[in-house]
Amino acid sequence: MLEINQLKAAYGQVQVLHGIELKVPKGQVVTLIGSNGAGKTTTMRAISGMLKPTGGTIKLGGRSIAGLPAYRIARIGLAHSPEGRRVFPTQTVRDNLLLGAFTRLTFGGKRARGDIRGDLDRALDLFPRLRERQFQLAGTLSGGEQQMLAMARALMLNPDVLLLDEPSMGLAPILVEEVFHIIGRLKEQGMTMLLVEQFAAAALAVADYGYVLENGRIAVHGQAEQLRNDPKVRAAYLGIAH
Amino acid sequence: MDILLQLLMSGVALGMIYAVIAFGYQSTFATSGTLNFGQGEALMLGAMVGLSLSGDILGGPFVNYWLMVPLVLLFGALQGAVVEFVGVRPAIKTKSEFGWIMSTIALGIIFRNTAENLWGRDDLPFPSPLPTEPIHIFGANVLPMELMVVVGAILMMVLVEMFNRRSIYGKAVVATSSDRDAAGLMGINTGLVITFSYALSSMSAAFAGVLIAPITLTGASMGAVLGLKAFAVAIIGGLTSGLGVIVGGILLGVAETTTGFYLSTGYKDVPGLVLLLLVLAVKPSGLFGKTTIKKV
Repeated sequence: MLEINQLKAAYGQVQVLHGIELKVPKGQVVTLIGSNGAGKTTTMRAISGMLKPTGGTIKLGGRSIAGLPAYRIARIGLAHSPEGRRVFPTQTVRDNLLLGAFTRLTFGGKRARGDIRGDLDRALDLFPRLRERQFQLAGTLSGGEQQMLAMARALMLNPDVLLLDEPSMGLAPILVEEVFHIIGRLKEQGMTMLLVEQFAAAALAVADYGYVLENGRIAVHGQAEQLRNDPKVRAAYLGIAH
Repeated sequence: MDILLQLLMSGVALGMIYAVIAFGYQSTFATSGTLNFGQGEALMLGAMVGLSLSGDILGGPFVNYWLMVPLVLLFGALQGAVVEFVGVRPAIKTKSEFGWIMSTIALGIIFRNTAENLWGRDDLPFPSPLPTEPIHIFGANVLPMELMVVVGAILMMVLVEMFNRRSIYGKAVVATSSDRDAAGLMGINTGLVITFSYALSSMSAAFAGVLIAPITLTGASMGAVLGLKAFAVAIIGGLTSGLGVIVGGILLGVAETTTGFYLSTGYKDVPGLVLLLLVLAVKPSGLFGKTTIKKV
């Protein structure tokens, strides 16, 4: 579904990604792990168009999307729940969710309308806390609730591929568990996902396949199962001595 | 007492004009962090085009005042879109911090010169669509046109606010104002939203132009001072607060009319500008300006 070849990206003069190769097959969960500064978030930003890649190709369902502005990539069917949540603080939870469905609600959005009311309901079922707070301003939510809103908002695009960047960042342990539980449920529903996570063990537990990013390059990749048992990965990223 | 009431009412009408123009400054500032310093000229163009359509200067009237207003609004929107496309877009694209200041001022001067050549340098009377006999309200004399200024200004701001709250496109404008990158991820063409905000900004200025023209005179130089004072209002009220520009506009308008009467018309601009300096010193974000809280 998502195919990335030789992806390069830079912030000004500083080259951050040195040719990433990555595949996310339809219906699978792929995780990207690595230490801080390895380029995980940059990879996500380059895919969704928040950052213009300096080289390489990105294909979404066969269509080339590298270099397109973010709004066009969203219209093709990629949703990105960005690092730091980035909810719209002055608007209600419900409005945030409707904005997630912008591409389906508008004439120029180009995505099939489908059952928006039903999807809104399903998103609120998935995150019951959001249902209680539907008419509250997003800026008044707690960090964990904002994270759930960011995920629910991305789902409202009805995406072909969902990018989740650090959905557990800054959350209380009980909420981290809840977030991973929800990712598991989305997987059961057949959602194609690319997941960036600091909790590598949990990410590899839910994922089908994993990539380990080091200094802007893919160092190791393999079936999630296989990576979980790889002594080097265990020592470096799972905090388990061998 | 009657005099004071009279001054208050005229001040409010003038203040609402400032508020409408200041509202335009807010609109572009919210979406792009930039301002159209040619707002005064957008107002002037609106008034001149309105006069050409419903006055007799070009062999008209072609349409009456009420049909002219929507045409002027359309013209204002197009003019604003041109300003954004020619003057602001390149500056935003190259992340130039100050390029837009000079380019919007430059476009304003070009518009004024063009207007001087098209319509001449003289001030022209604008035929009033309403009776020019004042109405007596609580002992004060109010021109029907002054009432229309207040009603029209409030109506416009309420309509825009409803658009922002109710329609998905309005929500997209608000989203672009709070986080442009995140709005892009929603599939919102934020560049187009910025163009739209410029169209809205010039449209409100043009609207202010056809509202105020029948009370004052119409001419190529009418916009400069109004644009500047409205900018002061936007700063006093806060560049982010809709209520702020109404309060700020009324404060400035009333300060002008009362000073003009009790002190001297020569000093009528002073109290408002002193207020501006005070606000800048004490509360730089404006009387109603918000500082947003960001959760980490």
